Amino acid sequence: MTALLLGALGLTLSLIAPGILANARWPDRAPVAAVVLWQALTLTAVLCALGVVLAAPEELTRAAGARHPETVVALVLSLAVAATIVIRLLISLAQVTSRARARRDRHRMLVDLLDHVEQRGEIGGEVRVLDGALPMAYCVPGRDPRVVLSDAVLKVLDREQVDAVLAHERAHLRHRHELVMESFTAFYQAVPKLLRSRAPLDAVHLLLEMVSDDAARRRTGPEPLRAALSRLADALPLAEGAAGETRRRRLDRLDLPESRSLSVAAIVAAAGLLVLPTVILVVPWLGRALDAWPFQ
Amino acid sequence: MGTMAMGDLEREVMTKLWDAREPLTVRQVHELLSRDRDLAYTTVMTVLDRLAKKKLVTQQKADRAYRYAPVQSREEMTAGVMLDALSATPDRDAALAYFMGQLPPEALKAAIEASRQQ
Repeated sequence: MTALLLGALGLTLSLIAPGILANARWPDRAPVAAVVLWQALTLTAVLCALGVVLAAPEELTRAAGARHPETVVALVLSLAVAATIVIRLLISLAQVTSRARARRDRHRMLVDLLDHVEQRGEIGGEVRVLDGALPMAYCVPGRDPRVVLSDAVLKVLDREQVDAVLAHERAHLRHRHELVMESFTAFYQAVPKLLRSRAPLDAVHLLLEMVSDDAARRRTGPEPLRAALSRLADALPLAEGAAGETRRRRLDRLDLPESRSLSVAAIVAAAGLLVLPTVILVVPWLGRALDAWPFQ
Repeated sequence: MGTMAMGDLEREVMTKLWDAREPLTVRQVHELLSRDRDLAYTTVMTVLDRLAKKKLVTQQKADRAYRYAPVQSREEMTAGVMLDALSATPDRDAALAYFMGQLPPEALKAAIEASRQQ
């Protein structure tokens, strides 16, 4: 029974809930809390899968009235499967982080070489300016981070708008958003191809952009950020499809205040997700399983 | 010498090699850089050696002297960095963070081409 309930909860959390959360618009007003909710959702789905693997064999053998040796074999097998799941997730995380680090190191080295010091003016620190008529702004995270602008950005935007872009990128760096993206990418890649969905990855990516937008508008006000977003997008062929839709969402929310009550509700939901299945399902099962433990 | 100073020197050496449009010897690079400062010949040699190890410059032996040339032109390397920065491929999401969205590689190549012809 425990295994069935955990399985149902796990399937709901991995197949139904992500679609609902990805389509919701309230996260636009509480992006930090929404990222936490995505993390709780994903972690709880993993815990449910582990719970099913651990509980199902023991419950089945017990229901079939098996004697002790069979129960022990079932327990050992289920522990092995659970360990496989955990190891697969950890290997995926190690692969994603080491690939990302190698790519960032090489990228940082190249932008340092291509940097046009004389065009930076009084913008200093970790900012690098590249040639190029294509306006681009992005950051290279890590212990020795960089913010990269193409000189087209400096031509298209005024100083206040550049400050908004820099505040946005520096918020990514300061809050280590790359670690959040790495963990979701690692989870995505660890899930078998037929079962996985890009929805959490894309949703969290957009939410992190909103978090950085909020940091930027606290620094410069919403207008320079809005102008920067519009002008840079006009110069890139991004307007159609999903990219245009995400830009509209980022622009639309700039006038709305962040919602404290939505944030609190999302955090409470995240905590509930993590705690409730454990308390309601796993603790009673553990009690029964220990009672049936063969070597008492 | 700190890493920052080394990074600055590497950039300046690359800039001289890019501007030269022909392979340069250590002595030539040293002369170009010494115009506005006091710089040891061995330092320039070390910097060129580091750049060669990173596969950013090639080393050719001609007339009993090593000559150094950039592997890519400045424009080629810039286009490569842009492609690396903006291309959207599934396992790349985690490496860099963008102010604007990512582009599919074909759209990006077209955009880079279009912006070059302006």
